[in-house]
Amino acid sequence: MRSKTPYVLLALGTLLLLFGSYWGLFVAPSERYMGEVQRIMYVHVPTAWNWMLAVLFAFGCAIAYLFTANAKWDSRMEAGLEVGVLLAFLLCIQGSIWAKPTWGVWWDWDPRLTSVAVLLMASLGILALRSFVDDPSRRAVWSAVATIIASVDLPIVYFSVKWWNSLHQEQSTPQTVSSAFHLPLRVNAVAVLLLMIGFLMLRTRVAALRLERESAVPQLQQEAGELA
Amino acid sequence: MTGVVEGGWEFVIAAYAITVLGFAIYGASLVARLKELNKHD
Amino acid sequence: MLTAALRKELLLQWRTRGQMMAVFVFGATALLLFSFAIGPDASALRTFSAGFLWLGLLLSSTLTLAESFHSEMENRALEGLLLLPSDARALYYAKAIANWLQLALLGIALVPVMVVLYDAGTLQLLKLLGVILLGTAGLSAPGTLYAGMTAQVKAKQMLLPLLLFPLIVPALLASVKATSLVILGDPMNQSGAWLTLLAAFDLIYWSLCGLLFGRVVEE
Repeated sequence: MRSKTPYVLLALGTLLLLFGSYWGLFVAPSERYMGEVQRIMYVHVPTAWNWMLAVLFAFGCAIAYLFTANAKWDSRMEAGLEVGVLLAFLLCIQGSIWAKPTWGVWWDWDPRLTSVAVLLMASLGILALRSFVDDPSRRAVWSAVATIIASVDLPIVYFSVKWWNSLHQEQSTPQTVSSAFHLPLRVNAVAVLLLMIGFLMLRTRVAALRLERESAVPQLQQEAGELA
Repeated sequence: MTGVVEGGWEFVIAAYAITVLGFAIYGASLVARLKELNKHD
Repeated sequence: MLTAALRKELLLQWRTRGQMMAVFVFGATALLLFSFAIGPDASALRTFSAGFLWLGLLLSSTLTLAESFHSEMENRALEGLLLLPSDARALYYAKAIANWLQLALLGIALVPVMVVLYDAGTLQLLKLLGVILLGTAGLSAPGTLYAGMTAQVKAKQMLLPLLLFPLIVPALLASVKATSLVILGDPMNQSGAWLTLLAAFDLIYWSLCGLLFGRVVEE
């Protein structure tokens, strides 16, 4: 339970992130159309990929919990939701920092960015629900159900916003990333992946410990009652 | 107008700084929460 | 089984019709307030009328949805109902259909208010009715499930919209777009695409929520 693996992953991820970002910021050439702003992509795209992984992870844990009713899937799902919230939050900020110099506004109703924002709100709602339910098994089932429902919504949100947007404006998208830009992108993708796995492991541990403590309290009270 | 976005280093630095800060704060909060939970044992 | 459960829900709704009136007044007040937010600009009001109608309906829906499990919670009747040899699925679909009817009626009742306040009249009444039916169906399916969930929690007034609103984004978007096209005219014939999206949303959530509801109310 107390393995050092997550800390090793976090350290490795940090080193890789420093290396990849150095490469992306100072070594890679500036892009022809986007200029220096393109460099935001070296951190934005890896965050986005890993956010999707976190969402998939939480979705998978939710399904696994409903089938097995094993509390460890509940802890993992809680971790996936919270790490997903962190990544989605960072994505929204990076996205608006990208939008300002590129399109002149802080928020562009880009389907990807909008879907991230919607799922961020949904995940925050589920975490809020968790904090209001005291019974551990009810909390687990309900948040698993809500996670499944919210995950299914993601592709629908994406396509609806895409339609909505394309019907009134054609959006200029950055060129597809060419080979000179691959290295920092890949290094940072692995770096954020390692960080995310480290976070997930630690957060799962927090959730499991809390659950343990929660179920220990009534037992203690019961024992005290028997003694009295 | 060449169509090239000029400058923008301040945006780049802001994006990287916020990301790194976000990861650092979250990592620190996790470690703190774990410490708090283990203390009660 | 479903028909019996549905009959019970509809009877219950008929008995509490005064509450329905109160929700209508709430929705109409919301529509009135939206026009103050925009100011007395008739053309702007007309442009945004569809959005206001659906926002008013969405806000009112949190009231009716939250109330739909009220009687069960009050007398612990939900547990009683689930002891009967009926399954939770019948209970869910009865509730969802009843909520759908109620929301659709509310939507229809709010249309004249919208027409008067925003000068947003239309003669394509059948098409408008279709949009309202599809849109409120999209609200009711996940809304009923989350209402059943949050009814058992202390902070239900806060949690229901928190869970429901992000989820409902595609249905809201499509309903507003389709309604807007009915009111303002549809030169490029786009409304079909939005109605298809709404129908797909309805289909997905009416089946998924029916599947999951049993787990939400189980002991």
